[in-house]
Amino acid sequence: MSVIVETSPSRIAPSLTRSIPRRVFDKAASMPGFRIGLAIFVLLVLAAALYPEISGIDPTKMNVRARLLPPLFIGENWSLAHPLGTDQIGRDMLVRSLVGLRYSFLIGVASVVVMLIIGCTLGTIAGYFGGRTDSIIMRLTDAQLSIPMIILAIAVLGVSRPTIPAIILVLGLSNWPVYARIMRSIVMTERQREYVRASKLGGSTDLRIILTLLVPLLLPPVLFTSVLDVARMMIFESTLGFLGLGVQPPTPTFGNIIADGRKYLLNAWWIATMPGIFLGLTLTSINLMGASLERARNTIHGGSE
Amino acid sequence: MAVPLLELKNLVVTVGRTPQARRILDGISLTLEPQEIVGVVGASGAGKTVLSKAVVNWLEAPLHVQSGQVLFEGQDILTIAEGEMRTLRRRVAYVGSNPMGALDPTLTVGSQIVEKLRAVVPGLARAEAEKRVISLLEAVRIPSARSRFNDYPSQFSGGMMQRALIVDALVTNPALLVADNVTQPLDVTVAAQVIRLMKELTADFSTAVLFVSSSLPVAREACSRILVMEDGRIVEEQSTEALISRPNYPYTQELVAQTPKIWSEKAEVPRLSDDREVVVSLRDASQIYKVRRKSGFGGVNEVRAVRNVTFDVRRGDSFAIVGESGCGKSTLMRLLSRLERPSSGEVRCNGADIAKLHGKDLMGFRRTLQMVLQDPFGSLPPRTSVGHMLEEPLRTHGWRDKAKIRERVLKVMNEVGLAQALYEELPLGLSAGQRQRINVARALVLEPEILIMDETLSALDQAEQFKLLDLFQKLQKEYNLTYIFISHDLAMVRKVCNRVAVMYLGEVFELAENDRLFFDPGHPYTKALLSAMPTLEERRYQPEDCLLEGEPPSPIDIPAGCSFRSRCPHAFAPCATINPSLTVRGDQNFAACHLVVPPLATAAQDRQRVIA
Repeated sequence: MSVIVETSPSRIAPSLTRSIPRRVFDKAASMPGFRIGLAIFVLLVLAAALYPEISGIDPTKMNVRARLLPPLFIGENWSLAHPLGTDQIGRDMLVRSLVGLRYSFLIGVASVVVMLIIGCTLGTIAGYFGGRTDSIIMRLTDAQLSIPMIILAIAVLGVSRPTIPAIILVLGLSNWPVYARIMRSIVMTERQREYVRASKLGGSTDLRIILTLLVPLLLPPVLFTSVLDVARMMIFESTLGFLGLGVQPPTPTFGNIIADGRKYLLNAWWIATMPGIFLGLTLTSINLMGASLERARNTIHGGSE
Repeated sequence: MAVPLLELKNLVVTVGRTPQARRILDGISLTLEPQEIVGVVGASGAGKTVLSKAVVNWLEAPLHVQSGQVLFEGQDILTIAEGEMRTLRRRVAYVGSNPMGALDPTLTVGSQIVEKLRAVVPGLARAEAEKRVISLLEAVRIPSARSRFNDYPSQFSGGMMQRALIVDALVTNPALLVADNVTQPLDVTVAAQVIRLMKELTADFSTAVLFVSSSLPVAREACSRILVMEDGRIVEEQSTEALISRPNYPYTQELVAQTPKIWSEKAEVPRLSDDREVVVSLRDASQIYKVRRKSGFGGVNEVRAVRNVTFDVRRGDSFAIVGESGCGKSTLMRLLSRLERPSSGEVRCNGADIAKLHGKDLMGFRRTLQMVLQDPFGSLPPRTSVGHMLEEPLRTHGWRDKAKIRERVLKVMNEVGLAQALYEELPLGLSAGQRQRINVARALVLEPEILIMDETLSALDQAEQFKLLDLFQKLQKEYNLTYIFISHDLAMVRKVCNRVAVMYLGEVFELAENDRLFFDPGHPYTKALLSAMPTLEERRYQPEDCLLEGEPPSPIDIPAGCSFRSRCPHAFAPCATINPSLTVRGDQNFAACHLVVPPLATAAQDRQRVIA
């Protein structure tokens, strides 16, 4: 069926002043989901940045007399000084969770960035140039995929000291093949399109086409899905912490707090639960924002505004 | 009075079910007698496709039949039960305009047609069904039908596929065939074959055809009676010849007047002197692609896409390269624009061999020669604003000043007739014509001297084509541009180009001035092309004398001697061994055929006699 789409100038005129990224952002900002997500996120960031310093409580300081205090209004001997209770050696759970959030978030975001850089670069190169380049890079990807992440983590972190940069590197290195695969397949379909040819005719070099044409076009959807991976990496960090290969105690991260709290799950459930709640909140807020941005992008680029 | 085969009574189709819904078809009434071919002509968006789908009861939501009847042999097919409709499918068939997308690529063509036949005729034995399909494939002249039966859709060419789909439609001996723009994707010579085939089939199988087409000349070829549609209404109905000679309704008059005439109108191309500077010149340019052989052990097949092409384009020329699909036009375009380097020979632009350019010289060449691509939808990056798209070439060529870039882009947008308001807009929702203007603007923004138009107009409808052609001519005058049109549309070429190269299987068969080519073609292939052109005028070359059978041979194994030999009606002994080279036919006109006698031939013959 052939349908003629007429664009009347009157429909176009009002939005003339706003550029397209601006319109995507404005559209996202008008969605309730984005606002809720942003509010939670800002709150968490502020709390994590400021509360440990302002309250002056040391997250590693022990206080045996105040051990295993429950959170506010639960049980009998709760105290205002420790709103989320204390753990088995009397450390304040709120401060520990917030400091844990800092580290977990740092590790989550940084490892996703590492993963994106490696994966997208290799994937784009493989997809764009094809041929031998493609087969070499893809065999490399296959090799990487064949090594289970946990084994790699145990090998690397077991041998060297599990510092934060090492953890970021291990997490990033073990997860890039997925992005390489995705980027390769979408670049492969796009590079044969006429507009790429048009750009070549305009005199663009391959590098220019990749950087100014393909990457801006293809990266955003990948970025939006990678937001979900921030959450996954935070969980992986927790897994590593749980195995004792994460950030070493006494520095708190979600992983080692939860690992510690497991032993006391029956008589002090809050030790493992509190960081879990923070983890959940962070991920929810990130996902809400990511989803709204993605939806806004689709509406604008789909032409409904 | 006998009941007509098909009768539409006041059919109204709307989008959605509300009473205010937009009417796509607005009170259509028509009748179709057995064995008749009736054409339905109209611009895109007039509701032709919806009409053809309504006739076969194929409307899908949100389309909704508000009122009216579609009577097939007196029975309203819009109200009958689904089961009955399925049996009726035996008698009503449909062929669409996209042959390549119509069959499942993972099953063989034959098995799919057999499946359809057995679905509508339950209880038919498989062997019998196969026999019938093969006999029909032979009837539509698919060569070696028995082995083709087991081929996959990808192994069929577009023209063969369309014929296979006609078999698919005819296999149940339908009383009514709805042909929706069947010839649109096909080359002129193949389209002419398909139309001729359909005419024969109406006689042989006593089928009536509802021939829906966007092109009046094509409908004229096929139909005895034509209905003209505009905005969902039938505005005129006459027998074909009467409609063309005496159109009543304003839209029809416009349509008839706008259809380009090849012979009865004088071309407005200015005569240009021969001593202008040569801007592009090809010297024996050839391109060979190596394709890995799929069967057997390794090895490569050589696809000779362009073979020894030699011609000059002078400044101010509108040079046309015409030919059917697969003749090497697109490869030649890639050579000219240095997307690829020729495997042998030279392509020179302003005296420099472009294959050897790099760095700054290459950028200079890119600035001189720009191209407008074919597909108005694929050639624009989908998520970039129009303004940014047009800025990009400037940035590539080292423009840095934002205000200057913007000024230049707005100037070009203005020149090609794009509203400034589009600057920050995505190309979404723009019509094909608007998009093609963006394409033109993108090419013009660098102020090139030479523009290659790669089938630029083929995706547009007639009115839009005219507007763009006028624009091209205006721009040519203003900037002294040189155009190279790559096209299969001879009518357009006749209108705007002063020099034409006809290509077949990678070779230039004829190279001539506009008038000479259309009035006195030297090559039988050119004659065949001209005879296959659908037009509204009296033909200069009769299809009976020149129409080609079959399809071009594969470029992988080009026959020895003249490559046109297998389809040429005048082939004789020397054609089998000697490949004719371009022979002078006086002035600047050349043709590659043994039948062409050069002006000096008599002298040459004398000399031969002396040697003998």
